[in-house]
Amino acid sequence: MNRIHKIITLAAGLFIPAAGICQEQTVSKSSGYFSNPLFLILLVAILVLLVVILAFTSAFKNLANSDFLTNKYKKDMNSNASKTTALLLLLIGSFSLQAQNAAPVAVSDGRIGGLDPFTFYFMLTVLLFELLLLGILFYQFNYLIKTQTTPAVNAEGKPVKQESKLMHTLTDAVAVEDEASIMLDHDYDGIKELDNNLPPWWKWGFYLTIVFAFVYLIHYHVTGTGALQAKEYQMAMDQAKREVDEYMAKSANNVDENTVKLITDAAELAKGKDVFVASCAACHGREGQGGVGPNLADEYWLHGGSLPDVFKSIKYGWVEKGMKSWKEELSPIQISQLTSFIHSIKGSNPPNPKAPQGDLYKEAGAVSDSTLVKSDSLALKTDSLLAKKIADSLNVSKK
Amino acid sequence: MEIQKFQYDNKIVKWFAYATILWSLVGMVAGLLAAIQLYLPAANLNLPYTTFGRVRPIHTNAIIFAFVGNGIFMGVYYSLQRLLKARMFSDLLSKIHFWGWQLIIVLAAATLVMGITTGKEYAELEWPIDILITLVWVVFGWNMFGTILRRRERHLYVAIWFYIATFVTVAMLHIVNSIEIPVSFWKSYSWYAGVQDALVQWWYGHNAVAFFLTTPYLGLMYYFLPKIAQRPVYSYRLSIIHFWALIFIYIWAGPHHLLYTSTPDWAQSLGVVFSVMLIAPSWGGMINGLLTLRGAWDRVRDNVGLKFIVVAVTAYGMATFEGPMLSLKSVNAISHFTDWTIAHVHVGALGWNGFLTFGILYWLIPRLFQTKLHSEKLANQHFWIGTLGIVLYAVPMYWAGFMQSSMWKDFTPEGQLKWQFMDTVTRMIPFYIARSIGGLLFLIGAIMMTYNLIKTIKAGKFLEIEEDQAPALTKEYHAHSKDHWHRWIERKPVQMLVVSLIVVAIGGVIEFVPTFLVKSNIPTISSVKPYTPLELHGRDIYVREGCYTCHSQMIRPFRSETARYGEYSKAGEFVYDHPFQWGSKRTGPDLAREGGKYPDSWHYNHMLDPTSMSPGSIMPQYPWLLEDQLNATNTMAKIKAMQRLGVPYPEGYEKIALKDMETQANQIAANLKKDGIETLPDREIVALIAYLQRLGKDIKAEGQKAEK
Repeated sequence: MNRIHKIITLAAGLFIPAAGICQEQTVSKSSGYFSNPLFLILLVAILVLLVVILAFTSAFKNLANSDFLTNKYKKDMNSNASKTTALLLLLIGSFSLQAQNAAPVAVSDGRIGGLDPFTFYFMLTVLLFELLLLGILFYQFNYLIKTQTTPAVNAEGKPVKQESKLMHTLTDAVAVEDEASIMLDHDYDGIKELDNNLPPWWKWGFYLTIVFAFVYLIHYHVTGTGALQAKEYQMAMDQAKREVDEYMAKSANNVDENTVKLITDAAELAKGKDVFVASCAACHGREGQGGVGPNLADEYWLHGGSLPDVFKSIKYGWVEKGMKSWKEELSPIQISQLTSFIHSIKGSNPPNPKAPQGDLYKEAGAVSDSTLVKSDSLALKTDSLLAKKIADSLNVSKK
Repeated sequence: MEIQKFQYDNKIVKWFAYATILWSLVGMVAGLLAAIQLYLPAANLNLPYTTFGRVRPIHTNAIIFAFVGNGIFMGVYYSLQRLLKARMFSDLLSKIHFWGWQLIIVLAAATLVMGITTGKEYAELEWPIDILITLVWVVFGWNMFGTILRRRERHLYVAIWFYIATFVTVAMLHIVNSIEIPVSFWKSYSWYAGVQDALVQWWYGHNAVAFFLTTPYLGLMYYFLPKIAQRPVYSYRLSIIHFWALIFIYIWAGPHHLLYTSTPDWAQSLGVVFSVMLIAPSWGGMINGLLTLRGAWDRVRDNVGLKFIVVAVTAYGMATFEGPMLSLKSVNAISHFTDWTIAHVHVGALGWNGFLTFGILYWLIPRLFQTKLHSEKLANQHFWIGTLGIVLYAVPMYWAGFMQSSMWKDFTPEGQLKWQFMDTVTRMIPFYIARSIGGLLFLIGAIMMTYNLIKTIKAGKFLEIEEDQAPALTKEYHAHSKDHWHRWIERKPVQMLVVSLIVVAIGGVIEFVPTFLVKSNIPTISSVKPYTPLELHGRDIYVREGCYTCHSQMIRPFRSETARYGEYSKAGEFVYDHPFQWGSKRTGPDLAREGGKYPDSWHYNHMLDPTSMSPGSIMPQYPWLLEDQLNATNTMAKIKAMQRLGVPYPEGYEKIALKDMETQANQIAANLKKDGIETLPDREIVALIAYLQRLGKDIKAEGQKAEK
C-alpha cells in the first residue's frame, strides 16, 4: 500500500513540471525555438538530468527505508530526499514560468547559437544547477554508504568484490551474494528467476514517457496549442519569405525580367557558362547546339530571343514543352548571367546543330530590315503576355 | 507421481540451423551486391534480374524471412522442447514446416528476381506465396501449441510468452496486410489504396520489425543467455511488465514511418507518442538480459557465444532508443528518406539479429554434435571483424544521411535551393563505398563462422537421441497462496494466446477504423481521376522494377520540398493508388510531381542511359524497357480488378480500354518522333512514360481550374 501511495505522490509531482514544460513548448514553438538545435539539446539534457535526479532521490528513499541504515540516519535521510525533490519541482516550475516571460525577448539581437541570451543563460543555469545537485546527492550517498557498510566476506572469509555504489543506486538490486533471498522457485530447464525490483531510473523513465504522451496529445489535439504540419508549413514559408525579402532589399540581387541588362564582363559570363554546363547542357547541348531541347546558338527562338524573354523562359519555364522553371534553383543573378551567356553564343555555329525552330529574332539596331523586327516584336508582345499568364497560373497552383 | 521418459527432436533443430547459415550468406551477398550498385550501377551486369530495384527486396526478404526466420525456428524448436519437457508435437508437422518455409524462400527469390512483386515493402511476395506463408505459419503454430498442450511443465517461461505473441501477431499482420485482388496468377492489386494502404502497410512493416525481428529474438535471448551464462534471470517482475507493455505499445507505433506525409495528423501523433513510450519496455528486455550477467562477466570474456550475445543485446538497446528519437517529428524531418534510416535498421539487423544468431550458433552446434567448437580463436576473430563491420557500416551511413538531408534543406540567402539534387547524390558516393566495405567485413565474418561450424560438425557426432525425463502434469493444481498473480496466465496457454491477441489488436483497430470510415481523413479532390489503361500498365512496370526502392512519391510540407518538387502531397491524390508507392528512401529525387517536368524524349533517353540526361546519375540503365513489348493481354482483367476495388471506370470500360490505350501510345510515339526517336507504340517504355507524365498532374489541373 505504502508503495503505491509513494508512486502516486511522485507521479503527481512529476506531472506538475511536465505540464510546465508543455506550456513552455507552446510559447517556444511560436517563436521557432523547436527548430533550434541548441535549444533542443539543452532541453533534452535538462530533462535527462531531471530523470536521473528523480531516480537518484527515489533510490535514496529506498535506501533510507531499508534496514541498511540505522534509525538515526533514517530520519535525516528521508527529509533530505524530500527536500531535494521539492527544490527540484520548484525550480522546474519557475523555469516554465520564466520561459513564458522570456518569449517576447526572443526577437532581440545578440543571439547565442540562435537563442536569445536570456533563454540560453537560463537554461544553462538550470543545467548547471542540476549537475551541482547531482554531485551533492552523489557525494552524500557515497559518504553514507561508506560509513555504514562493513566489507562483506564470503564463506572462506575473503572479501567479496562489491558492486559499485552507482550500479546499486541505479538498479536498486539485491546484491549478488544475497540473491538467494529473492530467488523464485521457478526452474525451466535449469533456468531460474530472481525477483529484483524494477530499476528506479527505468521505472521513472517509463512514467515520464507516459506523461510526455499525454502532454503531447493534449498540446497538439486538445488545446490546439501546437502547430500541426499544415500550419507549421505556413509558418515556415512566411518566415522564409520575410527573411528573403529582407535580404533582397539589402542586396543588389533583385534583378528580374524587367531590369535585366546585358553583361559583358568575362568573369560573370564564365559563371553563366558554368551554370549552363551544369543545368542546361543535358537538353540544349554542351555548346547550345540543341538536343532534346532547341538550339540556343542560332537566331531562331520559340519564345522570343530578347534578354527579358530569355530571362523569363529560364525563370518560369515552358512546362508543357518540357522546359522546367528554374527560379527555385537559380538565383536572379545566376539567371541574368546565364541569359547573357546564352546571348553571347548566338551565331557561334557549334557542330551538329539542331534545325532552327520558332521565329527569327534580331536585335533592334543591328538589323536593317525594319519590318521584320516590327512583326517580331509584335509576336514578342503576345508571347510575353502568354508567359505572364502561365507564370501567374503557376504561382497560383503553388499556393 | 509418474516419471515419464521422452526424447527431444534435435534433427529439426539441426535442419533449421543449416538453413539459417545458408540463407544468412545468401542474404548478405544480395545486400553487398545492392550496396555496390549504389556507386557502380553497372554491377547489375546489365540484367533486369540483378538490378537494384529487384535485388534490394531480395536482400531484405532473405535477411528477414530466410535468415532470421530460420534462426527463430531453430531457437524455438530447441528451447521450446526443453522448456516444456516435451518432444515436438508432431515430427510430420515439423517437417512440413521446415520444407514449406524453404519452399517459400525459394519461390520468393525466384519471383522477386522476375520482378513479380506487390510493391509493398517487406510484403512484396505475390498472393499465391502469401497463402502458402499463411498455411505454413499455421502449421508452425499448430505444432507449437500441440507441444504446449502436451507439456510436462506447469508454467510457461517468459520465452514462450514471446513465442506465443509472435505467432498470433505475425498471423494477424500478414493476413490483414496481404488482402489483395488477384489479376492473374502472379499479379494482384492491394485491397487498400493510398493513405489507407500506407497506414496498413507501415502498421505491418513496423510490426514485422517488432514481432519478427524483436519478440521472437527476445524469447531466444531469455532462453539462451541465462543458459549459456548459467545465471538466474535478473527480474521476473521486469519480464512481466516489459512483455505486456512491449506487445501492447509496439502495435501503435507504425505511423511514425509516415510523419509529415498525407496521413492524418492524429494518426501521426499516435505514432510519435507510442514510439516514445516504447523506450522503457524495449529497454526492459535489454536490462533483464545484461543484468542477468551480473557476477558472470568473467564468463563473457571466456565464452565467445556470450560475447556475441552481449553485443547483440547492447545493439538492441541502441536501436530501440534511436527508434523513438527518429519518431520525434523534428528529428524525422531530417532523417526520413535518407541513409540515416538505413544505418538505424542495420544496427538492429547486423547487431541484434545477426550477432544473437551467431552467438546461439556457436553454443548450439557444438552441443548438437557433442564436441568442442573447432576454433575458439577463429570465432573470436569473427567477433571482432563483425563488430568492425557494423561500425564501418553504420557510421558512414549516419554521416551520409545527415549530410544529404542538410543539403536538401539548404537555401541561399536569395531564397533559392542551394544544391541540385544531383549534387547531393554525388556527395554520397564515398559513404556508399565505405558502407559496402563494412558490409563486406560482416560477410567475411559470417563466412569464417560457416567454415568454423562445418569443421565442428565434421569433427563431432550428431546427438540424434537426447533423452530426458519429467513427471507428468497432474490434472489438479493447487496454486501456492504466495504466488504472483501472473502465475495464473502462465499455466493457461490458451488464455495467454487470446489475451495476447486482444492486446495487440487494440492499437491497429483504433488507428484503422477511423481512417477507413471517417471521410474527413481523406478529403476528396474532384480533379483526381483514375489512371488510363496505358498509365496503369506503366505503373505496374514501375512497381515491377522496384522504382519505389529509390524514389519517393510523397512531397512533405517543407519549404525545401515544395521548392524542389512542387506543392506538397495531399491525401486525396492517392485514392486510386493500389498499392501506394510513397517509398521510404530518396536515393533519387521524389517523383510525385514528375508529370510534365521533362519531355517524353527526356524520359526515353534517361531510361536508356540516365547519365545522358543527368550527368553523375547513379541510376541503372533500363534498356530492356525500350525493347520489350508490353503485355497488354491482361488489360481487361486489370481494369476489372480495379473496378472491383471501387475505382470508378465507367461500366463496360474494359471493352474499350484497349482502344484508349492504343490512342495514347500512338500519341507518345508521335511525341518521341518529333524529337527524332523512333519507337513502336507497343513497347514497355511508352507505358512507363505515360505513367511518369501523369504523376501529380491531376492536382495541377485543379489549381488551373481554381484560377479560372
